[in-house]
Amino acid sequence: MKPLVDRVLKRVPKGGETTVSLRSDRRGNTRFARGEITSSADVERFTVSVTVQFGKRSATATTNQTDDGALDEVVARAARMAKLAPENPETMAPLGKQTFLKAKASDVATVKLTPAARAKAVGAAIAAGDAAKLAIAGFYEHSATQRALATSAGLWVTHDSTQASFSCTARTADGTGSGWAESQSHRAADVDASALAKIAVEKASKSATPKKLDPGRYTVILEPAAVEGLLSFLIGSLGARRADEGRSFFAKPGGGTRIGEKLFPEFVTLSSDPIDAQTGGTPFDNEGVPLKPTKWIDKGKVEALIYGRYWASKQGKPATGSPTGWTLASGKATTPPAGVNPAGSIVGSELLKGVKRGVLITRFWYIRDLDPQTILTTGLTRDGTFLIENGAIAGPVNNFRFNESPIHMLAKCDAVGTPWLTDGMRVPALRTHEFNLASISEAV
Amino acid sequence: MRLSRRSFLVGGSLAALAIPRLVSARGLLTDPTLDDVVKRALGAATKAGATYADVRVVRHRRESVATREDRVERVSFSDEYGIGVRVLAGGAWGYAATPTVTAKNAERVAKAAVDVAKANGKLLKQPVKLAPVPPHVDVWQTPITKDPFKIPLEDKAELLLAVNREAMKVGGVKYVNSSYFANAEWKLYASTDGAYIEQETMRVGPGYTVTAVDAKRGEFESVSHTIAPLQAGWEYVERAPLVADARMVAERAVEKLKAPSVAPGKRDLILDPTHLWLTIHESIGHPTELDRALGYEANFAGTSFATPDKLGKLRIAAPALTFYADKTTPGGLATCGYDDDGVATQKWNIIDKGLFVGYQTTREQAGWINEKESRGTSYADSYASFPFQRMPNLSLAPGPKERSLEDLIAATDDGIVIIGNGSYSIDHQRLNFQFGGQAFWEVKKGKRTRMLKDVAYQANTIEFWNSCDQLGGPSSWWLGGTMFDGKGEPSQSNAVSHGCPPARFRKVNILSTNRRSA
Repeated sequence: MKPLVDRVLKRVPKGGETTVSLRSDRRGNTRFARGEITSSADVERFTVSVTVQFGKRSATATTNQTDDGALDEVVARAARMAKLAPENPETMAPLGKQTFLKAKASDVATVKLTPAARAKAVGAAIAAGDAAKLAIAGFYEHSATQRALATSAGLWVTHDSTQASFSCTARTADGTGSGWAESQSHRAADVDASALAKIAVEKASKSATPKKLDPGRYTVILEPAAVEGLLSFLIGSLGARRADEGRSFFAKPGGGTRIGEKLFPEFVTLSSDPIDAQTGGTPFDNEGVPLKPTKWIDKGKVEALIYGRYWASKQGKPATGSPTGWTLASGKATTPPAGVNPAGSIVGSELLKGVKRGVLITRFWYIRDLDPQTILTTGLTRDGTFLIENGAIAGPVNNFRFNESPIHMLAKCDAVGTPWLTDGMRVPALRTHEFNLASISEAV
Repeated sequence: MRLSRRSFLVGGSLAALAIPRLVSARGLLTDPTLDDVVKRALGAATKAGATYADVRVVRHRRESVATREDRVERVSFSDEYGIGVRVLAGGAWGYAATPTVTAKNAERVAKAAVDVAKANGKLLKQPVKLAPVPPHVDVWQTPITKDPFKIPLEDKAELLLAVNREAMKVGGVKYVNSSYFANAEWKLYASTDGAYIEQETMRVGPGYTVTAVDAKRGEFESVSHTIAPLQAGWEYVERAPLVADARMVAERAVEKLKAPSVAPGKRDLILDPTHLWLTIHESIGHPTELDRALGYEANFAGTSFATPDKLGKLRIAAPALTFYADKTTPGGLATCGYDDDGVATQKWNIIDKGLFVGYQTTREQAGWINEKESRGTSYADSYASFPFQRMPNLSLAPGPKERSLEDLIAATDDGIVIIGNGSYSIDHQRLNFQFGGQAFWEVKKGKRTRMLKDVAYQANTIEFWNSCDQLGGPSSWWLGGTMFDGKGEPSQSNAVSHGCPPARFRKVNILSTNRRSA
């Protein structure tokens, strides 16, 4: 990638400062439904993104072509746009040479994965569905990505990574039961389609013909995917600038931020690690800021907020960059799960213990924010919702719409399970209380 | 060069009929070497064993400007170009794509697509069958008068900064974020069934959000302008009352911050078209996608209450309501001449006088419900994406009698008016939904009394649409839309519009989203 970067940099007109970002992706995917493959593709993508700055004027142009004509055009366009753009006092000069953590995030076997290998994994999942006489649908995707970032001030960094993910949904023939399972890693070998299909199948069978349960505030046990769904809204609210500007949950009434406040129980720790390959950690952000392992919430206390370069300089703080590689709580992720309980849940019995009456939730769907100030969100449960009585799963119940905040979820949490890789994060199942299941959803 | 393109055609008489339109087009066909690329791709696919193949050469140009208060935050342009080949081999689909558009690469990806299909064939239960389509040869373009990519960047930045200046004049306003984008999507589509179609759609969308902050109480509220993105040129942006409305939007944000929280309970709801379009999208648009109704989206977006056994039987809405799909609506974001199966676009009813009567289909899907022809709703969002069923523009017809939003308010004793779309969430069979908005007013005895905040309504799709008892008339019909309708794995983005009049719904469950004191 270095020769291509040099070809771009030498085209930048005098007086211009430049950031060049390259990304090359090869992705393969296979999708299946109703027990057969419905689409499948192997595609190549490439982007050359060029930001040219003249003092406080800046613009970005992007192309996916690498011939001389395309590079001439993309640089000329960025330069032309930058000259025309009004001055932005927030524009920061490109970073010079930096030191980055080294990540080993590319797996050779995943790079070489073929359509036939995907079809084989999918075939195993379909066989699990067929054996149980359930309709099974799902998606297997893998990618090999090469990234490079360079600036005219001397910054140069590259990162190679792979990703593989598999998810599937099994449904009973009468349409009253549905189960789901998902996992992902940078190594395709970690993603066991057959094991995941078995969880989905088990959960679909056990969730059939649910009983009606009234809406209300319940003790809930959230499987990792449900936790991740809500947690991502909290992570999205960690920006320091919005907090300083008084328009965020992390803004303190009267001014300032909530850094230093203990809002959650002792065992709640939210961290990011840019060299954690399993969670897609990347050692740098789009501006080339070197990312460091960081605890944002440490033992229940808000420890840090996210500072971009401009806001950090204005506030006299170090820039954190945009973090990657998220983990809630600590511990080593297990993939596939260490144990599956009788309802197909990946929650261990230690979380169920002592719950007199509660609801076990597999995952959430269509989460949207309702109020950014309290991070109140709404969404729905799906693919396996069970009543818990006296420490055991009593049987399936209807789905719910919830209106709840991740702040409440973590503040009222009193137990966490084994971390699990889901949707690019490592999160545990957890038990929390007074969770607002606001209305019934008839959907299965 | 056009003669050489015609000579490419497999079809005879239909192709000849299309020539006058081809010749009258505004000169889109600029690169004669693409003829060879397309031929080589289709030839290589056929040689490798494909029984059907299509090729799309696609270029997306995107420009955007974003500002806040007195500064331009971001100016960007992107250009994406590439070729994708889709094949049927042994009855299974295969797809491959590359950004390097050369004849040699076209052959390579065509063969790769056949390899993918062959790998999948081993798990095949039902071979794919495509509904027939005439081999169209045509050119289609968004009718525009001003190409947004030719408008100077300064004009775009200045328009947004002028909005910000106006909004910031209102006391209590602390922040304004404004933005503009233009997307041009050019596509050459050809198939072994004889299609050769070139299209370019142009979409533009300005918008802004004003935030008022009460630092002392640690509270803030935002209101966005309700303008919709549209398939149009710069003329749409130029004529839009963006600066003219800035004070009004800003004053609403300030008023909303001070407004009382809504009291929950059942109330009549009057929904402005700037809000209702999204409710239509979520509760009528998605459930009537045929692939979804049959379980093809089960692992991602879910399934649907509107299953084929309910076609012609289920009364989804009140008898006064007719919903129609239409990929020819002028300005509609999903409007085009032909879909990504090469099928000519059309208009048809989804719900006729309250009754569920139609689905959105593609060539692959028509036969699934014993229809002879596709409805023409196939779309892929990039050269690198596999085409599949995507939502056409889908609209609610206005009532026959001229009635405005104000008429609906005047006819209501106790209700709430909502404008603009806010939070939106719906379950995976499209039944339980909950929506917020941008601005809310209480209605008492036929009058807007005061602004409210923290309003959301939660309802069941079928109960909700059957509770509609008043519709605005033809003049009140308005076209909203989104650039970001997500579906599929890997997820693809579709641009789609929904037109509707204002409408009234009886006794809907209103919630308060206020947790600030909790």
